Amino acid sequence: MRFALPERLSLQKIIQLVLGLLLAVIVLVSSMKTINTGNFSGSQWRNLVVSGIALGSMYALIAMGYTLVYGILFIINFAHGEVFMAGGYTAFFVARAFSDSGFLADNPIISLIVVFAVGMLVSMMIAITLERVAYRRLRGAPRLVPLITAVGASLFLQNTFRGLYGAQVRAYPEVEVLSGTVSIFGMPVGKLSLLTILLAAALMFTLFTFITKTKTGRAMRAVGEDKEIASLMGIDVDRTIVRTFAIGGLLAGAAGVLWGLIFQVGFFMGFFPGIKAFTAAVLGGIGNVVGAGLGGLTLGVLESVAPNLLLTGWDVPSPNQLTDVIAFTVLVFVLIFKPGGILGSDEAEKV
Amino acid sequence: MSLLEVTGLTKRFGGLTAVDSVDFHVDQGEIVGVIGPNGAGKTTLFNIVTGFYDPDEGEMRFDEKSLLGLKPNQVTKLGIARTFQAIRLFPAMTVLENAMVGQHCRTRAGLLGAVFRGPRTRAEERQIEERARDALGFFGNRLIPNADELASSLSYADRRRLEIARAMSTGAKLLLLDEPAAGMNPSEKEGLVKLIGRLRDERNYAVVLIEHDMPVVKNVSDRVVALDYGKKIADGTYSEVASNERVIEAYLGARHEESA
Amino acid sequence: MDKKKISLPRLALKFGLIAGVVIVYCAVVGMTERFTGRTIVNEVISLGDFLFVAFVLVAGYSVAKPRALPGDLVPDRARPPAVAYGALAGVIAGLVTALFLVVANSVNLRLVLVSVTQSLIDKMSYGGSVRSALVFMTVGGALLGAIGASLWLLRERARNTLIIAFVTTILFSLGEPLLRPILTTLLLKVRLTTTWLFFGGGLSRVGAVVVFVTTALIYYFWKQRGGEFRGRVQELPERQRKGIRIGAVVLLIAFLLYLPNLLTSFLAEVLGTVGLYIILGLGLNIVIGYAGLLDLGYVAFLAVGSYTTAILISTRHPFELEWSYWMSIPVTILVAIVIGIMIGAPVLRLRGDYLAIVTLGFGEIARIIVISDWARPVLGGAQGILGIRAPAIGDLEIRDPEKLYYAILICVLLVAFISIRLAASRVGRAWNAMREDEQVAEAMGISIIGYKLLAFATGAALGSISGIFFAIKLGSVFSNSFNIIVSINVLALIILGGMGSIPGVIAGAFVLVGLPDLLREFADFRLLIYGAILVALMLFKPEGLIPSKRRKRELHERESEEEQYEDRAGGGGTEPVITTS
Repeated sequence: MRFALPERLSLQKIIQLVLGLLLAVIVLVSSMKTINTGNFSGSQWRNLVVSGIALGSMYALIAMGYTLVYGILFIINFAHGEVFMAGGYTAFFVARAFSDSGFLADNPIISLIVVFAVGMLVSMMIAITLERVAYRRLRGAPRLVPLITAVGASLFLQNTFRGLYGAQVRAYPEVEVLSGTVSIFGMPVGKLSLLTILLAAALMFTLFTFITKTKTGRAMRAVGEDKEIASLMGIDVDRTIVRTFAIGGLLAGAAGVLWGLIFQVGFFMGFFPGIKAFTAAVLGGIGNVVGAGLGGLTLGVLESVAPNLLLTGWDVPSPNQLTDVIAFTVLVFVLIFKPGGILGSDEAEKV
Repeated sequence: MSLLEVTGLTKRFGGLTAVDSVDFHVDQGEIVGVIGPNGAGKTTLFNIVTGFYDPDEGEMRFDEKSLLGLKPNQVTKLGIARTFQAIRLFPAMTVLENAMVGQHCRTRAGLLGAVFRGPRTRAEERQIEERARDALGFFGNRLIPNADELASSLSYADRRRLEIARAMSTGAKLLLLDEPAAGMNPSEKEGLVKLIGRLRDERNYAVVLIEHDMPVVKNVSDRVVALDYGKKIADGTYSEVASNERVIEAYLGARHEESA
Repeated sequence: MDKKKISLPRLALKFGLIAGVVIVYCAVVGMTERFTGRTIVNEVISLGDFLFVAFVLVAGYSVAKPRALPGDLVPDRARPPAVAYGALAGVIAGLVTALFLVVANSVNLRLVLVSVTQSLIDKMSYGGSVRSALVFMTVGGALLGAIGASLWLLRERARNTLIIAFVTTILFSLGEPLLRPILTTLLLKVRLTTTWLFFGGGLSRVGAVVVFVTTALIYYFWKQRGGEFRGRVQELPERQRKGIRIGAVVLLIAFLLYLPNLLTSFLAEVLGTVGLYIILGLGLNIVIGYAGLLDLGYVAFLAVGSYTTAILISTRHPFELEWSYWMSIPVTILVAIVIGIMIGAPVLRLRGDYLAIVTLGFGEIARIIVISDWARPVLGGAQGILGIRAPAIGDLEIRDPEKLYYAILICVLLVAFISIRLAASRVGRAWNAMREDEQVAEAMGISIIGYKLLAFATGAALGSISGIFFAIKLGSVFSNSFNIIVSINVLALIILGGMGSIPGVIAGAFVLVGLPDLLREFADFRLLIYGAILVALMLFKPEGLIPSKRRKRELHERESEEEQYEDRAGGGGTEPVITTS
């Protein structure tokens, strides 16, 4: 006869509690050690936080695409990172053309709008094509199949763009309007970071309104709940799904252009942000749009601050090499202990 | 002493009490029918007994041993096997393999045995196959000829049979059948009734079956238990239960002549 | 779909456009230019040209393929008008391609699309002007489309003969790096050379004709005999059939043992790599194919095997352990098993896709740590660990490709043997059951925790074995060898070959690992082709090339049996047991 613990304190929960405490202790101790070294000034931390928020905003935009598609089709669109890449990389050429011809310098605002539009549209097209070609036929298949298809599509898209645009990494041209800082609450904030944060917030807010208030948004939620019933209610399931992918694509495209402006673009740029955005989506509760936003921001700040905060105190050489480890560790922990995420239901898949 | 003894079993899911203080017993060689409207807690009862859920309150004893806290594979090993409302075979395994898997809890060969196939492992494999064929053979000529076909290629009624065969091959003493007559036509249901009778008479199984089809329940059960909203509302012979007012009310919602 | 709508003109348009787009895609992505360097038939056609030829032929073929008439009979031959529509498809494809050429010639696409070089345009216009290319492609397209379509005018046997002969000739030519040394060595024994057969990196004109005709004749006359032969074999009693199967395997093994004598060192090395991937594939096959656990981070076990071996054996490692191989191999495998269990334990409850991402995360964590400066004192950082000496049995040092080949071959046979035994055992049945329906499997007495951990442990052990060989082969361990592409490689090859089937894994390894090494032109586009193959496979043939019989039915049955079975995802996600009753 087994030791029957009372319902509340199952072995699982004890382990979770212990590990959680352990984690909290480690974080506290590490942070104290680092702060004691005095290596980083207050303004440096501020900068890290701000760039973390900017980074997180981009993750949030991509994460929403993941979460929307998951909420409706229950598949992880592994190739979404490539959707992000396609827009960002293609828009680069437009930006470069504008820059070369001087149009960028003369009409920065219009140029930027066009660049963003191109990026978002290209990403949208790729997303829609993905759905049509790769995913549509596989709607009833065992879960392994769409996942492998997504992996294959991801490889295919990455290398297609490598073949099309070349293997080197490219930098977006300098945009005068966006360089330099602005003073917010007495703190200098990079204009580019500010644009990122504001634009992402605006897009997220638009998305949220769209999903909750419009007919299409309602249709998307309905299809996510039950495809068959939704179609019986007169909802065109196929079109709704296409629109979901399209919206995800638009958001990812915007993120791609922002990424290009801040960092660089290249055929491989989608892989890591893609996985991290998925982490963010899971962190916030997969299927939950607000959660994706929150998860993205959290992850961004974490990534920006944590390596230096936690590792410098222990004299770890080159802590920023291990940035991705932190992201992946977060991913692993969240999936194992709280697959429902912060905002989601705790539907840990046990019986 | 009853084979299976359940006392005060209670299970809540959030605000819903799915099973409410249920007392229930099955004796050796008995066939008990469990009836009740949808949502009455019948399958939940099965799930608790077989270890898929832990009860919030209550005791369950099988063959004098407590079932509390046991995992499903441990329950099977003790001697309780079940079938499912929606037939859950292993579709890509053959008929014979489905019956062979049932014996997993009674056999031992592990990784090393698999790789080296020593005499003990080979003997065990032979035994597994024999017992599986024996279980299949209980169904006459329906399953044996298809032994090497994939389980998914069988007809619906044969799939039900295979599920029961698989439960039998676990070496169980008590079979829990969840709506075995679902989806069957009248002649298949007759066959089912005879089959369950044979399970008791020829192989000495105790059987509990959840059923909605009253004629089947009537013809096969030694005793009937009725549940409603998680509570047991009747326990007796079929005629006793069928004429019980609470039972009639549960099904029809008002005083009414039962048209079974 | 409304039968009237499947009209030939529409089909011609559809397939013509698709073919055209695909051809332009190949050009724009850089394949065409790269492939023109590879000869298929000397001075007749290069691989780059062949892209155009192949796709247009296929387009014409697809257009003319007889489809179900309203009377519900599928005829086995097409009527002559179909040829015209095949030609039409070819024309459309040709026009699309020509249009691309015109655009490429007038606009400098190279600013954006790096592969659209002047050299490409020249090659695609065959040195003539773009205008002449327009004519050439349209006419050529029409001809090729017509040929593709006219195949359907023949009877089945003749048609299949031509197709098989054609494909064989192409493959024969592509296989030149492998076939030439083998055939040269063999033919030398009967005082013949192969210079008439191969020339300029591909087949010579004479050679192409010879191969084509020979294959056609063999196929045409032996197909029937082959069918009869197989029929008679089926009728033999089980014991004799088994004997024949074993005999065939023994012959194959004997051939494999003799093989290095026919090959160059380079090829022996390639085969060694293929062998390594076969071991990896068999290991992952147990995790995914048998137990249904989608592991996308399998490279971690390869790393464990290589690094542990390196640390224990290397003469240049700070720890200076310098153990012998007899000691280090068991320890390496043990370490891998422990790590396998450590990775498996937390992920036991996870559903299919989540499990995939978590294991991906683990794989990446492994990669980052292995490269990091932080772990450099032990793992060597970005430079890795050098100085791994070759194992030795007595005086025999196993360092050169031929000897390694034998060592790997023995290992492959061993691992294949273990896989086969496992599949048909109680353990294998338990894994199958667990993969198909975890809850019911548990109800049958199968300890899910135990068997999942066993799968991880076994996969880890096999992966680490491959890692050991990997370290020996290179003599050192480089940190950037252990990336996600390796995991995806292994996954791709077992999916291509057919999950759960051992011949499938072997075939997959040869195709996805062996071929790129042989076909240098493909190497640049390897991942692109992988991706396309994976998607195409999942859409059309998810069970792979050589599926195990059950897997094929499993994947196709699911689609039709959905009403009677709830859709259960492979590997953990199941319908909750709760129902309303």
